[in-house]
Amino acid sequence: MTGRIWGIGRRLAIAVMVSAILFPIYWVAVASFTPESQLFGQVDLVPTRLVFDHYRAVFSERALGTAVWNSLIVAGATTLLCVPIGALCAYALARLPFPGRTLVLTSVLAISMFPQISIVSPLYLLLRELRLIDTYAGLVLPYLTFAMPLTIWLLVGFFRQLPRELEEAALMDGASRLRTLWTIVLPLSWPGLTTTAILTFLYCWNEFLFALCFTLGPDRYTVPVAIALFRGQYQVPWGQILAGALVATLPVAMLVFLAQRRIVAGLTSGAVKG
Amino acid sequence: MAREFRRIPVAALCSCVVFVCFGCARTDPHVLTFAGSAVGREGEAIRRQLDSFQALHPAIRVEVQSTPDAADHRHQLYVQWLNARAADPDVLQLDVVWAPEFAAAGWILDLDRFRPQIDDFFPATLTANRWNGALYALPWFVDVGMLYWRKDLMARAPTDLDELRQLATRGTREQAIPFGFVWQGARYEGLVTVFLELLGAFGGAILDDHGRVVVDSDRAVDALTWMRDSIDVDRIVPASALTWQEEQVRLAFQNGQAVFMRNWPYAHALLQDPSQSRVAGRFGIAPMPATSGGSPTAALGGSVLAINANSGDSDAAYQLIEYLLEPAQLLTRARIVGQYPPRPTMYETKELEDALRIAPSDARRIIEHAVPRPATPIYSELSQTLQIALHRALTRQQEPRAALHQAGTAMRSLLARAELDREQP
Amino acid sequence: MMRDETRLGWTMALPALSVIALIALGPILWAAWESLFLHDLRMPWLGRRFIGAQNYIEALSDPRFWGAIGHTLAFAAVSVSLELVLGLALAVAVDSMTRGRGLVRTAMLLPWAVPTVVVGLVWRFIFETPAGLMNAVLVGSGVMADPPIWFADPEAAWVPIILADVWKTTPFVALLLLAGLQNIERSLYEAAQIDGASVWRQFTAITLPLLKPALLVALVFRTVDAFRVFDVIYVMTGGGPGTATEPIAMYTFSALLENLRFGYGSALSVVIFVATFLLALIAIRLMGRRTLIEPAS
Repeated sequence: MTGRIWGIGRRLAIAVMVSAILFPIYWVAVASFTPESQLFGQVDLVPTRLVFDHYRAVFSERALGTAVWNSLIVAGATTLLCVPIGALCAYALARLPFPGRTLVLTSVLAISMFPQISIVSPLYLLLRELRLIDTYAGLVLPYLTFAMPLTIWLLVGFFRQLPRELEEAALMDGASRLRTLWTIVLPLSWPGLTTTAILTFLYCWNEFLFALCFTLGPDRYTVPVAIALFRGQYQVPWGQILAGALVATLPVAMLVFLAQRRIVAGLTSGAVKG
Repeated sequence: MAREFRRIPVAALCSCVVFVCFGCARTDPHVLTFAGSAVGREGEAIRRQLDSFQALHPAIRVEVQSTPDAADHRHQLYVQWLNARAADPDVLQLDVVWAPEFAAAGWILDLDRFRPQIDDFFPATLTANRWNGALYALPWFVDVGMLYWRKDLMARAPTDLDELRQLATRGTREQAIPFGFVWQGARYEGLVTVFLELLGAFGGAILDDHGRVVVDSDRAVDALTWMRDSIDVDRIVPASALTWQEEQVRLAFQNGQAVFMRNWPYAHALLQDPSQSRVAGRFGIAPMPATSGGSPTAALGGSVLAINANSGDSDAAYQLIEYLLEPAQLLTRARIVGQYPPRPTMYETKELEDALRIAPSDARRIIEHAVPRPATPIYSELSQTLQIALHRALTRQQEPRAALHQAGTAMRSLLARAELDREQP
Repeated sequence: MMRDETRLGWTMALPALSVIALIALGPILWAAWESLFLHDLRMPWLGRRFIGAQNYIEALSDPRFWGAIGHTLAFAAVSVSLELVLGLALAVAVDSMTRGRGLVRTAMLLPWAVPTVVVGLVWRFIFETPAGLMNAVLVGSGVMADPPIWFADPEAAWVPIILADVWKTTPFVALLLLAGLQNIERSLYEAAQIDGASVWRQFTAITLPLLKPALLVALVFRTVDAFRVFDVIYVMTGGGPGTATEPIAMYTFSALLENLRFGYGSALSVVIFVATFLLALIAIRLMGRRTLIEPAS
């Protein structure tokens, strides 16, 4: 009998928690299609009218399209740079017994926990000297600080999980380490590589502090900065902010839908930070 | 299979490099950018002026770089851009008190290299734009604090503060006007400009001729006490004025609810519009009155034009500034926006009278009494300190003498910390 | 052979490590050096002069600094506790599910994937006065007749902030704990049930002890994250009203990019870095070299 109660209780708890998780997203989605005048006051759980004004406005007046493009370029470039270089390093850390390996691994983990604000001042002065403030390179460079350790950490976890036998067989046959990496390990680790790429892209897409500090105007704002800085003349333009918020969330939500199992595996295998 | 794999990373790396390089080149060197107030009437005026400038100089293109309306936000944005050594904007419209700050920080260009013609500018407007002897900005338009008075309630404007108090009291007691005198009392820069005028009326100042802080002098205490008493004792100023900025003050006077108003010239055109204003045709302007120990003082406001120190084309930028400062262009601005030109000779022309719809000689008289705020790079910090002290005294949280003493001490230490307390040449 | 492997290992690792050294380690050392100087970018005439520990002394005697530290610690304590408790509850509940786990996992990943800035804006929208959703619910259901003006009240403003952070990270903590839960042998529970142990006793005697490593990992990582909070508070209150909700990362940001005091800001940066570094060291020590470096396979 108690088993039944626990069963129902558990199911109820899950239902409540999942609704609590999803409801704000639903609410924002609905609100972004609601006319500005009706945003406050009425609480219609199911909307009666849908308007596209806010979306039109964010793409025409606010140039959110430019911000999306900027985010894509910066996140994409960072991912494309980090994954190959990180994979090389991760393989060495996972399979090659060189001295200082443990120290390196520990340091990489420690560096991934760096507070970003702590390196804003030197990075700012450096980027300013190189005339890279408000450029793509001026964002990719700082992004490498957290993307590189993240990539290494995730890929070490993945490489470790691969069965050693295949590599050992190849080595026994006389292949070099590099060749083994290229012909055997890499094809096997496509899942790990794609997961790492997805996670790196996600972190870069969502990044705010560096983008806020190292860009100067709508031409180079990334999506999070662009919507955070939507300012109205007299009041907060909520409809547009929420439309922008949905645009910011859509790509990462899609990635989550497509790759949730891999993402969870990747995150929990290496016990990575949130 | 291996060969295909080889292609992908190479392609990826190449595209990265392309993206990253693509991201480095930014400004088109032949496009000038102008940053300043570009909404409403000012927006209309600047766009018209930029169009005609480009018609005259086909090789130069000018774009407006948008900035927020609020002065504080615009200031913060400028600081962010200029500190990052951005090449844009090339030409900036600065509030008159920002020029020394930007000049001392090395963010705007020393204009002496262009040998500008400066004989036809009000001298006070030039002093505020100098730093270490060099000229860093040129005045674009002048704002002066003025007294607006009701012609239907009195024969002529008051010449001293006692008379103003009497007339205001009479207005509230006998003529059923709710407020005697309204001014900007919110805790912001506007309050400092109002205080500056009362300060001058009592013969005080914020800094003396040697650059020393004298805001806690006896005369300053008298001025602040007069302001406070006008709210509580004489009851000619409403307590709500302590939350008002320019617009609220203007609306009170515009609706006929005040005998006197202290405000800037922009209000004049709006007050003369019969469709909005209940006092159209029934008010006049005059210098702020003084006491026997002081002189009529107008706070000097307005905007100046400067060139970004990292501008890609400072020569073209200077050409734009020269153009905007031509009398014909200043007249256009006067006509559209109602802003006072910084050139004294224009005040003898009929065109200006037509444009401004007030007697230029009145305006000129007030401008010549104008007193600038301290021209120091740390003005915004000094102002913050003073605003807090003034507001505390006016809301009766502190006695004027104590508040000003505290402000004076804080201002002295700010100047000392910035090592600006030595005598200026 | 061994020496070749060593050299190969270092060669392969070198590109990534040099990037990290250049972009992450280098700047931290520079920040530490910079913190010993007076470097105010608004006052270049003062030059960049060596003042030793004076920036640190100024920070330690600045009430706004201590306020920021206090806010950060309080925020970390409250939100991490809530996340651990709620996350554990959610993980336990999901662990017992037999069907639909994939869907629930997707739902749980969404808040983690949403940009923090968006999370902040969403919750600010919900708590907006006077007619935001939260107030409509509170007043409509009779729970609170006169809700505070959330973002104008120095204490009440923390409620939406903490709620936003909890909403974003609890599901992720739950996922971490879920992975830990799934590693616990079912047979242990079966045996306990046969012995007549209640559900609660099973939880405290089996689940909690075996979940300890995962809990510690979650605790430490979340605390380190909570310590560097910036995004969510920036968009919700900007540190206000006044500086009532300003965390230490935001105070540093303000010193650096609003007041342009790079020397002083660098000192603040070093303080945050040292605090986080100490926490990270504790983390690594707690997790044990075994869990970390050589995971049990």
